[in-house]
Amino acid sequence: MEIPASQMSTCLPLSWRLRRAALVALLLGLWAPCKIVWEQRIAHEQDLLRYHGAPMTRQLRDELGQGLTIGVLSGMRSVVADLVWLNVTTAWMDQEWFRMGGYINLCTALQPRAPVFWDMGGWQLAWNASIAATQDRTQPNELRRLKASRFWLDRGLEIFKRGIENNPTYWRLWNDTAQLYQQRLKDYRTAATYYQQASEQPNAPVYLERFPAIMYGLAGDDQASYAAWRALWERLTPQEREMKQHWKEKIETNIRRLEQKLSVPKEKRVFPN
Amino acid sequence: MISSLHRIITISRNTLTEAVRQKVLNVLLIFSLVLVGSSVVVSQLATPGLDSSGLFDAQIKFVKDFGCGAIGLFGFFIALLSTAQLIPQELHNRTIYTILAKPVRRSEFLLGKFFGVVLLLALCVALMSLAFAATLYWQEMRGIQAAEAAYNQTPNWQANPFVVNAYNHDVAQIVQQVRDPQLIEAVILIFAKLVMTTGIALLISTFATSSIFTIVTTFMIYLIGHMESTAREFWLASGAGSSIWQSALVGFISLLIPDMNSFTIVDEILAGNRVPWSHALNLLGYADVYLIVLLGVSVVIFDYREI
Repeated sequence: MEIPASQMSTCLPLSWRLRRAALVALLLGLWAPCKIVWEQRIAHEQDLLRYHGAPMTRQLRDELGQGLTIGVLSGMRSVVADLVWLNVTTAWMDQEWFRMGGYINLCTALQPRAPVFWDMGGWQLAWNASIAATQDRTQPNELRRLKASRFWLDRGLEIFKRGIENNPTYWRLWNDTAQLYQQRLKDYRTAATYYQQASEQPNAPVYLERFPAIMYGLAGDDQASYAAWRALWERLTPQEREMKQHWKEKIETNIRRLEQKLSVPKEKRVFPN
Repeated sequence: MISSLHRIITISRNTLTEAVRQKVLNVLLIFSLVLVGSSVVVSQLATPGLDSSGLFDAQIKFVKDFGCGAIGLFGFFIALLSTAQLIPQELHNRTIYTILAKPVRRSEFLLGKFFGVVLLLALCVALMSLAFAATLYWQEMRGIQAAEAAYNQTPNWQANPFVVNAYNHDVAQIVQQVRDPQLIEAVILIFAKLVMTTGIALLISTFATSSIFTIVTTFMIYLIGHMESTAREFWLASGAGSSIWQSALVGFISLLIPDMNSFTIVDEILAGNRVPWSHALNLLGYADVYLIVLLGVSVVIFDYREI
């Protein structure tokens, strides 16, 4: 119903007001259960998207302090995590590894789905802290230095693996873990499996596809290496073989070498001649 | 209907003009632009000594976080400050009497004021987003230059097709992360959250007697809104060990306070994770319906108010 212009001023009749108030109360009453259902649906979708990211716990609150907790509660979780990361950098410069490890855990707890924290955190622990421990002259002997180095390496490896659990499609974490097995632990067979996984993730560089075969070769498992090179060759389309000459040559050379070495029967060879 | 719309547009245009002339809001806007720009410096402080490709994944994340963080934070201050003084200022200057003496409904006045602030927010968010885009583009340029410099350390690398492949991959990764179309989704969600905050502030200002009261109460509701999901979970699973008062309190929060925490899904986008548009639209729909309820209640309360 249209109100005459003369009546449209600051005061409405009481009956109108009451009717409106009742209408709003009714609307709110209807909206409240819809709101709860809608929010629950949104929360469910977000749980699926986030892999159940870390909630705000008492421990997290205590570690963050009052100011940063308000930041998290104001919806600035990512900025707070970045600010905490600045402490990681400071602790790294001061070579305070335990403090650094604590901050890395805090950052990854705040943003478990931000792969860069796992990536950089694992690198800081497994490489920087671990290598620094091998040069720590405050330790009485070499054995203690090696033990400390291994301790940090294991912490870094743990960060990479937890990172993979939270971000299974981020190729760099698989690659980092593989590099650690290859370069620090000399466990080429395990490195091969991680490189394999890395190469299968979205946006992974093409060169990673060769690494499992190379790792099996380093492990002395020529059979597995041959199988990996051969699988790679069979995956290449004729068009790719034409376009990627350098790629083709590399694979071909390795297959020929291994066929020779393993005495593969001519009829079963990729390159019989 | 058309004339009513015309009146609302006139009031909102006037509200926007008034707001743009306010020094506080301009200063806030300048600070936000500076903060967006300085995100590059923060990103460099946080990631020294990494190799080029790993470095840029992290640096781009920091730039995105601080850029969107600045849009959210300063947008929040702009929304809060501009809305909180809408009605008190009109009352103080006595301009409200002149407006309401004309054939203008209180609801039209209120909606006009609200849309004026929404326009102001849209303008500020657009400006901050432009600065954010420029910062990201600059970061992209820096990233590509640094990658090239790193590869140039290997003599004659362009002749090695494997190294060229690796370089191309690194550059493609930088470009992909910087020109992520999902960032548009993130900015839209931040804007929706800001408009919701405006709605809450407007509702409070319809019965508040001072701007400070509106600012403090809205800020508290904003904070509680980020914990509403926890309260809701507790309430829905309630019974076990909770008193009737506890249940009543969390029930009240769950039924009335909006779930602001849902909008922190923006963090997932900034971390490089995919958030489907269907989910973003679901959130926007929720924000829209909530706003309609907030505005409805505001209109009724404002109608009751003695001026």
